[in-house]
Amino acid sequence: MIRSIYFLFLLLWHSPLTAQDQYTLSGTVSDGRSGETLIGASISVPALNIGTTTNEYGFYALELPAGDSIAVVFSYVGFQPLQRRIYLSSDSILNVELREGVELEKVVVEANSFREQLRSSEMSVETLSPREAKLIPLLLGESDILKAIQLKPGIPSGAEGSSGLFVRGGGSDQNLIILDEAIVYNANHLFGFFSTFNTDAVKDLKMYKGGFPARYGGRLSSVIDVKLKEGNNKKLSGTGGLGLIASRLTLEGPIQSGKSSFMVSGRRTYADVFTRLVNRANAGQPGFNPIPNYYFYDLNTKINFKLGEKDRLMLSGYFGRDVFGFDDDNFNFDFDWGNATGTLRWNHLFSNKLFSNTTLTFSNYQYNIQNRLTGFSFRVGSNIRDLNLKTDFYYALNNRHTLRFGAQTTAHYFEIGRLKAGSDDGTVSFSAGQNFTGLEFGAYFSDELRLSEKLEIQAGLRLSGFQNEDSWIVRPEPRLSGRFNPSERWALKISYARMNQYLHLVSNAGVALPTDIWYPSTRRILPQSSDQLALGLSYLVGEALFLNWEAYYKKLGNQIEFVDGAELFANDELEEEFAIGRGRAYGLEWSIEQKEGRLQGWIGYTLAFVRRGDFTPIVPEASFQQEGYFSPIYDRRHDLSVVALYEISDRFSANATFVYGSGDLRWLPPGRFSFQDVYGGEFKSVVPHYLERNNYRLPPYHRLDLGLVYQLKPKWGESDLTLTVVNVYDRRNTFFIYLEPEFAKVEDEDGRTFQIPERISARQVSLFPVLPALTWNFKF
Amino acid sequence: MKKYIFASVTALILVCLGCDLEKEIDIELPDYEQRVVVEAYLEPGQPLRLLLSLSAPYFEKFPIFEGQFIENTLVSDAEVSIHYNGQTFQLNNRLIFDEERRKIYNYQHPFVVPEDYDRSFELDILTKAGVRIQASTRLLPPVPIDSLVVEFREQDTLARLLTYLTDPPAQDNYYRRLLHSGSLLNQPEQDFTTSDQIVEDILLFGTGFEYAAGDTLISSIYHLDIDYYNYLRSVQNAGLANGNPFAQPSPIISNVKSDSEKAIGIFTGLSYFRKEVIVE
Repeated sequence: MIRSIYFLFLLLWHSPLTAQDQYTLSGTVSDGRSGETLIGASISVPALNIGTTTNEYGFYALELPAGDSIAVVFSYVGFQPLQRRIYLSSDSILNVELREGVELEKVVVEANSFREQLRSSEMSVETLSPREAKLIPLLLGESDILKAIQLKPGIPSGAEGSSGLFVRGGGSDQNLIILDEAIVYNANHLFGFFSTFNTDAVKDLKMYKGGFPARYGGRLSSVIDVKLKEGNNKKLSGTGGLGLIASRLTLEGPIQSGKSSFMVSGRRTYADVFTRLVNRANAGQPGFNPIPNYYFYDLNTKINFKLGEKDRLMLSGYFGRDVFGFDDDNFNFDFDWGNATGTLRWNHLFSNKLFSNTTLTFSNYQYNIQNRLTGFSFRVGSNIRDLNLKTDFYYALNNRHTLRFGAQTTAHYFEIGRLKAGSDDGTVSFSAGQNFTGLEFGAYFSDELRLSEKLEIQAGLRLSGFQNEDSWIVRPEPRLSGRFNPSERWALKISYARMNQYLHLVSNAGVALPTDIWYPSTRRILPQSSDQLALGLSYLVGEALFLNWEAYYKKLGNQIEFVDGAELFANDELEEEFAIGRGRAYGLEWSIEQKEGRLQGWIGYTLAFVRRGDFTPIVPEASFQQEGYFSPIYDRRHDLSVVALYEISDRFSANATFVYGSGDLRWLPPGRFSFQDVYGGEFKSVVPHYLERNNYRLPPYHRLDLGLVYQLKPKWGESDLTLTVVNVYDRRNTFFIYLEPEFAKVEDEDGRTFQIPERISARQVSLFPVLPALTWNFKF
Repeated sequence: MKKYIFASVTALILVCLGCDLEKEIDIELPDYEQRVVVEAYLEPGQPLRLLLSLSAPYFEKFPIFEGQFIENTLVSDAEVSIHYNGQTFQLNNRLIFDEERRKIYNYQHPFVVPEDYDRSFELDILTKAGVRIQASTRLLPPVPIDSLVVEFREQDTLARLLTYLTDPPAQDNYYRRLLHSGSLLNQPEQDFTTSDQIVEDILLFGTGFEYAAGDTLISSIYHLDIDYYNYLRSVQNAGLANGNPFAQPSPIISNVKSDSEKAIGIFTGLSYFRKEVIVE
């Protein structure tokens, strides 16, 4: 009896090919030219209709029958497919190097990539290769992979000045942005115009909007996983560009050919060189207001070691800063902010089937504002430091089960609203601020289960938790996703994910600022939570036209807003300014993607709704006048992106991006009143009376960007001249609106004149007009 | 020469970037129902008086002629009474202009407010339209200014003013600081509110080195209760949010209660300490 149950179990557990012996073929798939491992490369065995893909570290494992000569095909977008004949008599390692497709500047036919998407049980995920990102023209000629991925549906395309990412109705703090597994708290330069990711240094960027795999946790609405290049371990090479406002250079090469490599990548803007000159030229002239100086820079470094067949060691770091300064005789203002991250990673192959990744990361985000008036100085700043240890296992048990499990723990240290002010002579000094420490942890287990050729599910459970002083909380997060292929061309997908978030970004308005504060969960402030259900349908037309539909519904719990008139400055009890409520978001996303022929690109459209409400202040006496549910300012109803890449000739290619979105919301006052004030106080004739939140929808936002690329084809490598024109038809999109009273002079009997407001006009401020730019890019 | 080329190219770029980025537009705001605005201060030594006016839709044109101003902005024929110490005072609807202070009131009673920090005052209003408004407050003792110090800088003829006061330790305190030069009728040099959260026991208000010999400086410190502090700050924040894309707008936090929120405003005691000094 027991024996028959045992055999039954084995039968169910193993694939139908149990009659023969099975061995595991595993290894890595890399780029032949540089030695970079390839993420998501496909390994397929057409004769047996089985396959797999490489994981984030380029590793794959496939169970194959022994003895027979089997054709295994390795392929990856942009590379020539490679076929090998395998005769397995034991578990074997096969590391493969692929060669790039013959024509490098074209985006090569990506039939496999669409088929992989159909067969993957992952959904709500967008990827963009650096190659594609560089073809999309962006602000001032600088290509930006994080800004470019916002052109995919479900991710509202960034309106000017908006540095926050609002994915499927989630707030701008609900995005987990990781760079080589270290968290980046503020991925913005220049208030959101550029991201902190230098496209030249990026190997892969994957963005999840839903259906989050169990290995990710800590944020509610998206996961942006950025992996840096490892570095060319075969020969010294470089990439770079010289642009109108910024320049960049990336150098990579072997330390020991084939075994170890390094990569260094840097970028800096130089608008401040010009502004400093202008200021110096005009110094001393009356009425001249010096232009503030601004610049940013970032630096990515990485070294990579192959320690034998089973081990790889990697060390990488990122350092970036934005510096904004203003210098006058009496007044001096310096504002700087930035991130620093460090990662030490060890990959180990325990066996052909079991791969592990252990990482130690460090992350720091801080900002500092320093202000000097004659005799007084003033400093305010915030600082968040993380130390994170995590380990992940990838176990290719057999062709039916791929198991992943792991754990991580992060120690957070926050300094919030650290204020120090005083006079030079020391008679006055005061300081304020709060320090927090917190421990965040998670452990997960998931199984990618291939029930049949047509049906695959990914089931997982994550247990996450947070400890802060005397409060401890542990929460389960079930994760489930599945795909069903009724035919080779169709895929039906469904996913459910429960997420928890233990850190909250406390920002004063919808426009995320570098001075926004990260606040931990405490006894009174419970973690935010979300439940998201998504359904998807995909269809492949021909070989390279892909249609995708997705619908989602998300419930958000323990959402934070500020109470009316919140005091954020120098407040030692900041959580008393919070109100806790709920939210819900739902929507539909459509996209069509074409990757064949001279004209390639995609069209994405999103219809989305998001509401927040039922807010109750932590301190009952505090005021939160908004009742019921309201729309946050990022409740953008429609969002359309069209990206087109056209190859004109061997040397010329053109690209165009068109975005259209419903206007964001703004909170405007429907009424006004006069405030006489006391004796000595100034009479205010117009005091705005704000009522319902976010009661005004801005005009629609739309913009067309065009780019022209001319390939120079030098002998030593590649180089091109890129002409970009952003906002081609000079659309003045609204950045913000203010209401301005116009005054008339009125005289009374005694001859005294008063300014009496006569009428109020509404004025709109836009951020930029048509902006052309020329960039020279090179690669050797 | 190169310097000038750089400078002019940059200037050209900046000018281009700056041109026409602002323009007037037509917008339609949501419908707005007028509210009664109460501004009632109890000042020890002064009679009972207050100002009752109406708010208006934001884009409504201002009635700049006197007659219209009174009709459209001030509330007439309301029954206004203040209860204190078992007595009820009916305020008369009469437009008064305080010449010295240049303030107007439209309801008043000759009863002089006593320096009573123990008993509460209750305000009760019933407008002609049937809106009932109620509020309650208590006077706070003023916090005295310990000293005013005039300091000259070594290399200059300009001085700054330092105002010192001792914060009463027993409770949370809120202050409004006003600084005038010349007369209280001039625009204040400084006007801000603060709480005692960040200080230990001595509060110091300073200025820059801006005042010449002969200048008269009037330093006032108002001791506010939490209602008045919240009201002033919400009025200030509401004004600041207009024109600043990074500021959080604020609804008005009033301490007057009415049905269906038909009234906003403040009913509070005025408690202040004022000291004057001539720079020399």
